[in-house]
Amino acid sequence: MAGAQILIVEDNEKSMKLFRDVLTATGYRTLEATTGSQAFELAVEHGPDLVLMDVQLPDVDGVEALRRMRADERTTSLPVLAVTAQAMHGDRERFLAAGFDGYLPKPVDVLQLLETVRRHCDDPAL
Amino acid sequence: MSEARPAPERAVPAGRRRLPDPGDNALVRGVGRLPAKVHTKLLIAFVGTAALVVAVGLLGLRVLGQSDDRVGRLGTLQERALAYGKLESDTRHIRLLLVENPGPDFFNVNPGIIPIGRGKSDVAIDQAVRNALVRIGPATRVERLGFVPPPEDRLVLRHIRAKSERLSTVIDQIIDSADRGASDEEQNPFRNQAHRLATDLYQLAAELAGTTTATTEDVIAQNADSYASQRNLFIGVAAGAIALALLLGLVLSWSVIGPIQRVDSRLAAIASGDFTGHVDVSNRDELGALAANVNRMNDELDRLYRELETASKHKSEFLASMSHELRTPLNAIIGFSQVLRERMFGELNEKQEEYLDDILASAHHLLSLINDVLDLSKVEAGQVELEVTPFSLREALESGIVTVRERATTEGVHVELSADPEIDLVEGDERRIRQVIFNLLSNAVKFTPPGGAVEVSATRLNGEVRISVSDTGPGVALEDRERIFEEFQQTEVGIGLREGTGLGLALSKRFVELHGGQIWVDSELGKGSTFVFTLPARPP
Repeated sequence: MAGAQILIVEDNEKSMKLFRDVLTATGYRTLEATTGSQAFELAVEHGPDLVLMDVQLPDVDGVEALRRMRADERTTSLPVLAVTAQAMHGDRERFLAAGFDGYLPKPVDVLQLLETVRRHCDDPAL
Repeated sequence: MSEARPAPERAVPAGRRRLPDPGDNALVRGVGRLPAKVHTKLLIAFVGTAALVVAVGLLGLRVLGQSDDRVGRLGTLQERALAYGKLESDTRHIRLLLVENPGPDFFNVNPGIIPIGRGKSDVAIDQAVRNALVRIGPATRVERLGFVPPPEDRLVLRHIRAKSERLSTVIDQIIDSADRGASDEEQNPFRNQAHRLATDLYQLAAELAGTTTATTEDVIAQNADSYASQRNLFIGVAAGAIALALLLGLVLSWSVIGPIQRVDSRLAAIASGDFTGHVDVSNRDELGALAANVNRMNDELDRLYRELETASKHKSEFLASMSHELRTPLNAIIGFSQVLRERMFGELNEKQEEYLDDILASAHHLLSLINDVLDLSKVEAGQVELEVTPFSLREALESGIVTVRERATTEGVHVELSADPEIDLVEGDERRIRQVIFNLLSNAVKFTPPGGAVEVSATRLNGEVRISVSDTGPGVALEDRERIFEEFQQTEVGIGLREGTGLGLALSKRFVELHGGQIWVDSELGKGSTFVFTLPARPP
């Protein structure tokens, strides 16, 4: 599904630039949020096809933002991937248990990122 | 996170719970509160008990002494009674001879008024009276009695002696007048006087003997009373002393044992990690000081434990932050390099591609360093908890080989697996064991020159699984065989390769040892090395 809209939630400028450039270069449309509450507002407003969610954010963290999305019927079934530098042993299990649809530890392998995004956007059933 | 000690809530084992304390009453606490050393208290208790024994002994001696006195008094009384009895008997004899009719068989005289004259029978009566009077004389003299009569007795004795002397004189006058052949009318006044004197004598002596007998009976009755009361007093005092000594001993021992038990159960709680309580000992002696010190130790340990907990928490937080903060820039470095390397934004020349490969390799090296350092820090901090499950060792070995196969193929190294068929499921933390296998395999491939071979094998020996990775590399010198398992220690060859973090073997050693296994290297310089590690049948 080319042209799918992806909400990038990321407070680090360089990482944001990387994800934005890689995704737009591959043909996706992007939305950008740098805080948890902004992420929730944009998700409600635009209903993107996928959310790439950083966890450590300036206001509410990614886990709380996910909780709000899940609690709101307009965004409750949005696929949300955790893209985080919290990559110690046990973190993957923790985030999947918190309700994320996938987990990509930083530093992110760009090819793996694109592969994962493609899977979620082309086949929403996954 | 591994929990180094049990939670405080379950710190006191059920068996240790205190029984109802017989020593926990006001009296025992009162003794404990006395501001004296235990030594002094014990001394006082022993001296007190000894004093009670002595007191009971002294009382016994007094009772015995009084009893002896009474026996002595009774003896004197009986002596008096005997002496006075004789006196009474003599006076009665005289009265019989002079006043009453003694009967024809007794003195062989005519009945009626006793005729004292010069006849045969007169002489007999005369002689009998004189004999009796002679006996009365000494019997009334205090110095001849053999005991000391009381003053009232002496008065009576003096009267008796006076009257007996007068009677003796009157008897002489009667005999004189009889010798002169005086008429009855002439003799009668003398005779009447003799009768009166004899009657008086008898009455005095009888009174004396009677009084003494009565006194003796009084003393005997008094003795019986006195004995009973003394005996009761002695039994009472002895029983009281025993009760007092027992009470003293019990109170004192509980004032010592109670605090010791309370201190002991507190120490047991502290030993199992419970710092929540204080031992309650109100003693103002060594035990009070002991309890106060135990409480101080408890508080100090509690403080240290909290500090340790805080420090450990800070360390965990620091590690997590460090990991996060190092990964964030790496994300940009690796990401942008990959974007360029994948030619997403245009072509690259050869040099650019080469440099990008260098950046990516260095960034990945840095990432593995971060991962290894974090792993090692967690092991050091005791924060690694193994997730022991049964897993397929064969699969883990195969997957390890797959991971290094690409490089092995590139470098012309042959990798072979020869595991015993019965080796499959083993117990352990699969992720850690895979990490160890990967470390050993990648080392082996790295150090084996083109055309060489790496052989992985697994066997079971006495229940223990033994995994070995052999290579045909340069080998490890004897002096390096221990050192290479330490952090950042590599062989000369390893340093020359400028590859690896220098942490792989150190981590592998920690992980194997966490499983209760061992890791070592057998090697021959120039021919190759065999790294071996063991896994016990049941890891801890």
